[in-house]
Amino acid sequence: MNPRHVARTAAVLALALVAVACGGNTGSSSPSGTLTVWLMNGSAPDSVVSAVNADFKAKYPNVSVKVQIQQWSDVTTKLDTAFAGSTPPDVVELGNTLVAKYAAAGALTNVGPKKSSFENSSTWLQSLTDSCTVNGKLYCVPYYAGSRAVVYRKDMFQKAGVQPPTTMDDWLQTGQKLMDANKADSSFSALYFPGKYWYAALPFIWDAGGDIAAQGGGQWKGTLNSTQSQQGLTTLSKMVGSLSRADKTGDEARQDQAFVQGHIAMLIANGWEIGVITDPKSGDPTLKDKLGVFPIPSHTSGQSAPVFLGGSDLGVAAKGKNQDLANEWVKLLTGTKFQTQMATVGQVIPNTTTLLDTNKDQPLLGTFAAAAKNSKFVPNSPNWANVESANVLPDMLVSIFTGKAPIADASTSASNQVTQILNAKS
Amino acid sequence: MCAAPLTTDSAPASLGPRTGALARRPVSGHRLREAALPYLLIGPTVLVIGVVMGYPMLNLVALSLQHYGLAELLAHQGTWVGLQNYQDILGDALFWQTVARTATFTAVTVAASMFLATLLALLLTRVSSPVKLLLSGGLIFVWATPVVVAIDVWQWMVDFEFGVANWLLTNLHVGSYAHHNWFENPLEGFGVITALVVWGALPFLTITLYAGLAQVPVEIVEAAECDGAGAWQVFWQVTVPIMRPLYLILFSLSTIWNFRLFDQVWIMLNARPSSGFYMLGVYSYVKSFKVDQFGLGATIAVVMVLMLMVATFVYIRGLARSGELDR
Repeated sequence: MNPRHVARTAAVLALALVAVACGGNTGSSSPSGTLTVWLMNGSAPDSVVSAVNADFKAKYPNVSVKVQIQQWSDVTTKLDTAFAGSTPPDVVELGNTLVAKYAAAGALTNVGPKKSSFENSSTWLQSLTDSCTVNGKLYCVPYYAGSRAVVYRKDMFQKAGVQPPTTMDDWLQTGQKLMDANKADSSFSALYFPGKYWYAALPFIWDAGGDIAAQGGGQWKGTLNSTQSQQGLTTLSKMVGSLSRADKTGDEARQDQAFVQGHIAMLIANGWEIGVITDPKSGDPTLKDKLGVFPIPSHTSGQSAPVFLGGSDLGVAAKGKNQDLANEWVKLLTGTKFQTQMATVGQVIPNTTTLLDTNKDQPLLGTFAAAAKNSKFVPNSPNWANVESANVLPDMLVSIFTGKAPIADASTSASNQVTQILNAKS
Repeated sequence: MCAAPLTTDSAPASLGPRTGALARRPVSGHRLREAALPYLLIGPTVLVIGVVMGYPMLNLVALSLQHYGLAELLAHQGTWVGLQNYQDILGDALFWQTVARTATFTAVTVAASMFLATLLALLLTRVSSPVKLLLSGGLIFVWATPVVVAIDVWQWMVDFEFGVANWLLTNLHVGSYAHHNWFENPLEGFGVITALVVWGALPFLTITLYAGLAQVPVEIVEAAECDGAGAWQVFWQVTVPIMRPLYLILFSLSTIWNFRLFDQVWIMLNARPSSGFYMLGVYSYVKSFKVDQFGLGATIAVVMVLMLMVATFVYIRGLARSGELDR
C-alpha cells in the first residue's frame, strides 16, 4: 500500500476520533445530547414534568430530555435490565424501598460530594435521606413522600349516624354500624381492603408493637410472628373479615376506581389518591365535598397508628454518560420551585420540612402530612427489595384473610422467609 | 415378507462404518461422497440448532454453576460455585412442591386435551358438511386467538367483581357466586387454568387427529366390522393402533408444551402469583428476575430441561418399542 495513503487515512481517522470524543461535550458553553429520565407512573403530574423540562431547555438549549413513564408492577425487572446494559437511563426514580438494593449493587452514583449543591439538602425529610444512605454514602436525592390515612364518605357516615373513630376498637364498631346501615347493598364495604395491600397492613402490626424484622449482631430476624405482630394481624383480620368485600387476593392498584362506584365508605389511601378519586376523567368530581380524611386510629386513645412512609428518590445511573446534566435535571425537580408544585398540583408530601405546611389550609391533605410525622419504614437492607419481589407479605395476608392458614402458621412461615432473604448474601 | 430382501441388500452399507469394514477397504471417491452426503445434508440443520439452541443452553448451564446476583449482573461477571446451586435447589421444599404440581398439571391437561380432541375428531368424521364447517371454523378461531388475548378474555370471564362466570352460575342457581374469587383456592384456580390450557390446545390436536383418522383405511374397518367387531372394538383394535405414531407425537408435544407452562399462570395472576401457583417455569423466572438470583433461576431451568428430556425419551422409546412389537 502507498505509505502516503496510509498516513492520510490515519490522519482522517485521528481527526474523526477527536471529533467523536468531543461530540458529547463540545466546550463548556453549551452541552448537547439526549438525557433519558425514567419516572414512575403517578409520581409527577404532566404539567410539572413539562415545566421542569422547559426550565432545563432554557439553560441547556441543545439537550433534549426524554421522560419515560414506567409502571410499578414490573419496574424491578426493567431496572435490572437497564442497569445491566451499557446505556441505562441517566436519571431514575426509585421507590424508597428499592434504593438500597441498587445502591449496594453499584448501579447508582454517589451524589454525597455534591449534596450541598442541591436546594434544601439540609432540611430534606430524614427518612427519605435515610433511604438514600447506604454504608454512609448518599446514592440518591429525596424526591417526595407519601403517607396513608383513611379516606371516608361523609355522607355515608352521616346516614349511618357515625363519627370518624378515635381508637382501633371504635373503628371496628363504626364499620359494623356502616355495614348494618347498608345491609341492602350486597357489594357494600365499610372498609375496602384488598388482600395484598401490605402497606396498609403495616400500621396494624406497628400499632400493636410488632414489626417486620429486627436487627441484632449483624443478623436480621423476622418478627412477623411475634406476639405483638400476631395481635396486630388478628385485629386487621377481624376488620377485613367483617367490613371488607374487596377481593381477598387482589391488590390496591384499582381501589380508587372501586371507591368511585359508590359502594365503599372507607379506604386506606395516599394523599394523592384524592386527586384520582375526584378527577373528572378517571373519577367523580362530585365526590369532592363528600370526602373526609382521618388518621389510622391507634389502640391507644388520642394517638394515631404509625404509618409506612412511602416515597420516591431520584438516582443518577453510575454507567450514565451525562451525569452532570442528570444532576442538573434532578436539581430542578427536587428544588423549592417544583417541590412546591409537587405539593400543590401533585398533592404529595414534598422532600423538605420547609415545605411541609404548603397544604396546611387544605383539610384533607393536611391530615396526610400530619400522619407522616408518626411514620416508620421497612428494614433498610439491600435485600429488602427481594422480600417485596418474593411477595412475602402479600402472600401472608392472603393466607390469613382467606383462612388458608391460621395467623400463627402464616406469620411464622412469612417470618422465616423474611429472615432467610434479609440474611442472604446478595 | 416383501421387506426381507431389502433389508439384506442394504445391510452391508449401513453396517459397514460401524464394523469398520469400510475403513479397511480402499475407499473410492464415489463411496466417500455417498457416505458424506447424509452429514452434508444434516449439516445446516445441526449448525442452526447449535447456534440457536446449543449456545444459549451452554450459557444457561454455565450460569447455573455461578453465583450471579444483581452486582454480578451489573459487572457482567459471576463467581463460580460449582454445584452449590444444585444443592440449594434440590434441598428446597418449595422446589419439590413445584415439581409435583407441574407434573400433576401436565398429566391432567395432556390427558384431558387428548381425550377431548379424540372425541371432537371422531365427531368431525360423522357430522354433515355444514356442521363440520361450523365446528372446524370455531376451532380455527380459537387457534387464531393470540395467547395473551385469550388469557385476558378468560380473566375477565372469571373476574371477581364483573365476571360472567360468577353471574351465570348465580343465575343458574348453582350457588351464590357473587364475589366469588376463583384464585383464592389454588385447586380451583388451576381448574380455570386447566380449562384455558385445554381449550387452547384443542384446535391443533383435533385437526391433526382428524387428519390422522382420514388415513385409517376404510377396508380394514369394514373387514373388522364384517368379522363382527363393534364400534368400541374397531376403535381400540383398528383405529388406535394405526394412529399410534400420531398419538405418540401429539402426546410428547403436549407434554412439553404443558410442562413449561408460563403465560397462563403469569398473566392470569397479574404477574404476582402466590407460591401456591408456581410452576417450574414460573419459579425459575421468579428466582431469576424477581429476587435477582440468576444462578438459581438457571439451575431450575436446567433441571427442568433434564426432566423433560428424560420424560420424553422414556416415553418415546416405550411407545416406539410397543409399536415395533405390534408389527
